[in-house]
Amino acid sequence: MTPPWWFTLPALLLFAFVVLIPSGRGVYYAFTDWDGLDPDFAFIGLRNFTDMLGDEDAVQAIWHTVLIAVAITVIQNGIGLLLALGVNSMIKTRNLLRVLLFAPAVVTPIVTAYLWRNLLGPDGAVNAVLGPWGRDWLGDPGLALWMIVVVVVWQFAGYSMVIFLAGLQSIPREIYEAAAIDGTGALRRFWSIVRPLLAPAITINLMLSIIGGIKLFDQVYALTGGGPGHATDTISTLIYKDAFTLGEFGYSIALAVVLTIIVAIASAAQYTFLSRNEKAAS
Amino acid sequence: MKKSLSLALTAVLLTAACSSGTNANSGSDAENKTLTLASVDQGSVEDVIKAFEAANPGVKVTFTTSGADQYQAQIRTQLSSGTAPDVMTVWPGNGNPGATYVLAKPGYLMDLSDQPWAGQLPDAFKTVAQYEGKTYNAVFGLNGIGAVYNDEALAKSGLKAPETWTQLLKFCGDAAAKGTPAFALGIQDNWVTQLVLYALAATTVFGADRDFDAKLQSGQATFATSQWTTAMAKYQEMSSAGCFQKNPLGTSYEASQALAATGKTLGIVQGNWIIGLLKQKNPKGKFTMKALPATDDPASFLMPAAAGAGYGINAKAKNKELALRFVTFIMSPEGMKLFNEKQGSLPTLAGAGTTVDPGLSELTTFVKDNRTVPFMDQLWPNAKVQQTMLSGLQEVFSKQTTPDKVLADMDAEYQKGA
Repeated sequence: MTPPWWFTLPALLLFAFVVLIPSGRGVYYAFTDWDGLDPDFAFIGLRNFTDMLGDEDAVQAIWHTVLIAVAITVIQNGIGLLLALGVNSMIKTRNLLRVLLFAPAVVTPIVTAYLWRNLLGPDGAVNAVLGPWGRDWLGDPGLALWMIVVVVVWQFAGYSMVIFLAGLQSIPREIYEAAAIDGTGALRRFWSIVRPLLAPAITINLMLSIIGGIKLFDQVYALTGGGPGHATDTISTLIYKDAFTLGEFGYSIALAVVLTIIVAIASAAQYTFLSRNEKAAS
Repeated sequence: MKKSLSLALTAVLLTAACSSGTNANSGSDAENKTLTLASVDQGSVEDVIKAFEAANPGVKVTFTTSGADQYQAQIRTQLSSGTAPDVMTVWPGNGNPGATYVLAKPGYLMDLSDQPWAGQLPDAFKTVAQYEGKTYNAVFGLNGIGAVYNDEALAKSGLKAPETWTQLLKFCGDAAAKGTPAFALGIQDNWVTQLVLYALAATTVFGADRDFDAKLQSGQATFATSQWTTAMAKYQEMSSAGCFQKNPLGTSYEASQALAATGKTLGIVQGNWIIGLLKQKNPKGKFTMKALPATDDPASFLMPAAAGAGYGINAKAKNKELALRFVTFIMSPEGMKLFNEKQGSLPTLAGAGTTVDPGLSELTTFVKDNRTVPFMDQLWPNAKVQQTMLSGLQEVFSKQTTPDKVLADMDAEYQKGA
């Protein structure tokens, strides 16, 4: 028996007061020229949004955001899955490995990012190890964006691994044994047993990483500050700069609205696609 | 957005919690003895507050300090929601979100024109402490930009600090050949990009025309068609002459200090505040600031020098009387001397008796001889001009754009006005 709908009211009211109403009120400012300070501001309709189309920095930032989100989603989950398969096997150090691989994920992103900023500096540890092959990792606009991806993947591959691992461990041993008796190879076992039974874990991981990738802020801000120039600016860093450095709150809220729409579309599309797959697999 | 909003919200909530906490704890008697203050002067304001409390028994100052970025976000939120402290850091002039013009225009600052010190400020500081003829900002310190040399490293290299532009280029080449580049440059932090350019522009732009700013304002001059192109070209020439260490774009401000302090470079082009920071990293070191040569005529050199961040009073201050007493203290010889010596800045009023670091004697002379120009951005009409320059310079260094394009973009933002 389902409880009556009004049981959700207390939670719903709290959610409305803390999240829905403030966000809704915030959206109004996307249609104004508010500078965050002057109570005297004007309603300017869609001008913030049309300005965005002509704003090279904004268009570039949207492109960087998409690149980062896709790269992180693919690489982080690929590595996470391989790690999960590895530590799910019977090797002796698997418990220690699980802890070590998950460890970076429990540290605050801003801390790991500052750590990497030093490691990747011209005189940092990475260049000391590479010697003559050293590069200006964060100062080269062609490399900096990918270094951000590397740092994020380094930190969160272990997180994806844990979710995959939970999925793997829910697969009954008997199925593997039956397959082994039938003489299937490892690849076939992965494709016909692991992949379909892992579908829910895949859905969760892809959703989390694409949303995290689109919203990425801390790591970019700490590693490069969006630079050199605007070479690594994402929508989130641009929102921050436009609001707090330039005082263009109206415009930056408009950018935030666009970011919200992108996240909503990307996650809805992904969810529909993956849940259809999940059903087909089960 | 979510992150920054929640940061700003937390800042508001925390301050709200703090101030309500102090109100709740103190009785009505003590209430008018509490002053609230927010500042960016980390490492110096603490001592000034201590001295102020000692001079005013029973008075308690509740204060917060933070970095400039964070502070600018916090103070705007507090002002617009009516939770700002009584006294707060305010930057001189215009062009940044916490500047005098920006905060005085919507009426958030108290008029301080009737204070005795307001009339005594030299003209160069008056213009940036005022908005529409009224004084709002108690500016207490003066900062300059120039080449700061590590005396020991310089002696070891056997080279002499250059006196002319030609000597400068040769100096850079010789220093690079010895494996210790002339200057540390940490432009991963984008605000650092402007310092060399300002040091060059002071002489090339304003040496040729002291009224350049007025012409820029009236539309008679632009960045792209002025001596700014020369300053840009000389910055690039310095870079290709090997004046800076390798990979400046990956080097942070912090890392550049370490290079100059430990003699891995012979010096650094920075503000005078760097001397205190370099001494923290190398307590035995001696550092001397000189004008950065931009032409072959030393008599024509000018140095960028300007009032640093000062203090304004919230127009809706809960304790106006105490706020005024604090600002008066900062502008008194005792308070100003304390602030200056802690920060390594020069006093804005004569007679403060500040003991100036011996490494700053050249700057002191330039100030006395009226051979300084304000930091270029202080009178620009909006924050975007400077931000365009800062990220533009990073793009020039990483070959994503050209100096001419950056100057043209700055003109475009300048012409959009306030």
